[in-house]
Amino acid sequence: MKLNKIRASFLLAIILVSVMNSCVAVKEYEKVYVNGTDMKLTANKINKFETSFQVYREAASGANGGKTGGGCGCN
Amino acid sequence: MNKLIIILLLLLLLFTSLLCAQEKQTDTIFKKRVLEKTEVDFLMSYYTQDGDHAAVTGGIGTEKLTDITPTFIVALPLNDDDVLTAEVGISAYSSASSSNIDPFDGNQPANPWVESSGASAKDTWVNGSFDYSHSSDDRNTIWGANLSVASEYDYFSIGFGGQISKLFNEKNTELSVKVNAYIDTWNPQYPTELRSGFNVPVGYSTNYKEFDKLGRNTYSFSVSFSQILAKKMQASLFLDVVHQNGLLSTPHQRVYFADTPDFYIDSFHLADDVERLPDTRFKLPIGMRLNYFINEYVTFRSYYRLYTDNWGITAHTAEIELPVKITRSFAVIPTYRYYTQTEADYFAGYNTHLSTQEFYTSDYDLSKFNSNQYGIGLRYTDIFTKLKIFKLGLKTIDLKYSSYNRSDGLKASIVSGGFKFILD
Repeated sequence: MKLNKIRASFLLAIILVSVMNSCVAVKEYEKVYVNGTDMKLTANKINKFETSFQVYREAASGANGGKTGGGCGCN
Repeated sequence: MNKLIIILLLLLLLFTSLLCAQEKQTDTIFKKRVLEKTEVDFLMSYYTQDGDHAAVTGGIGTEKLTDITPTFIVALPLNDDDVLTAEVGISAYSSASSSNIDPFDGNQPANPWVESSGASAKDTWVNGSFDYSHSSDDRNTIWGANLSVASEYDYFSIGFGGQISKLFNEKNTELSVKVNAYIDTWNPQYPTELRSGFNVPVGYSTNYKEFDKLGRNTYSFSVSFSQILAKKMQASLFLDVVHQNGLLSTPHQRVYFADTPDFYIDSFHLADDVERLPDTRFKLPIGMRLNYFINEYVTFRSYYRLYTDNWGITAHTAEIELPVKITRSFAVIPTYRYYTQTEADYFAGYNTHLSTQEFYTSDYDLSKFNSNQYGIGLRYTDIFTKLKIFKLGLKTIDLKYSSYNRSDGLKASIVSGGFKFILD
């Protein structure tokens, strides 16, 4: 893998984090929308099986808050 | 110079986070239980696939497979601050291509397009895991540890890890760091014609040698960052750095060379070798989620991932979910996922590799392709958990169907179901 790809990926992540990390703070009582079930920043539990077959059938995995590899004879 | 810029950006980010935390950290400590009651999830899926590029038979042959996966997850509050989650799952599969590890043990002539009826046609993957988490009194720090064990006929895995999460900026910002290791071991099942004692045709010989190291280790370092961007919008970033070493080849996947003579029994092409892949791999996936509450009926959920590794694969994944509340209790969730990848440096199709190469595979999971996945989900929620089964109150039912189509012809479908209960 070319080193500049890794550098570009890290840089992209850092820039995105910097942009997102503003000082805007939503108060607890204003979080009624972001606390909703569908607003969770994780995959739904029922999707775990789809993620599992995708790990077998595709070369890419990880960066979804779940497993990144290992634990199975998969890619 | 680049390193210096990255370090400066990281310091700036850290400084901004701490400043925000100091400025806005005015939470009054009110200690609510992290998990009010024990939750029990029963999940299950039924998966089917078929295609024409089985890796076991060197890139040709049936890929027919079915898989049933019952899974129990129990989340148990140990006290106000601590939660223990246990998961037990089984994956019972029947695979036409795996059956052709030994294509000669059936009742019909051997053929890569026909499923054999031998012992390797079925297997069961069993998985158990424990996850412990502790939250601080102000709920701004969460740390945890996990342990997992998985086993199937030709594979055994032990995994462990830990993580810490820190919430800042009036719980608008969360930064998590996670480390994990999987120590896995193969019990290789080589193609039957390559095993000693098999009665091979006159003249058939290969340079095949068994693998001498059977361990596969995976180490991952993950960072995730989530941020509430507005009252109705939040996003998260995930970065994983993954290093694997050991036996990364799959020992029962055949390879055929273009520059060696071909030998057959019935209609079955005898292997020239098994897949040979490098013994290290470095993976770097970066993912991002963005969720937006459109109105009380519709929410927009999105996900994107960029993946790259040192085997020459670059992949992009994009996914959209659109949960729509039909009534107070029912929601319909249409989903679409697009995936594309380049091929691994070591991939070539059936009978096209050369015997002089160091590494080779004809596993189409490592080929160039794209895929489209369409899904529709249905969710029922009973916030009062009126329906009781013994002491368990039913909270939600989830059902989902997805259809997956890969550009190399592989088609799959999966039906998933989930039942969440709360223990009274």
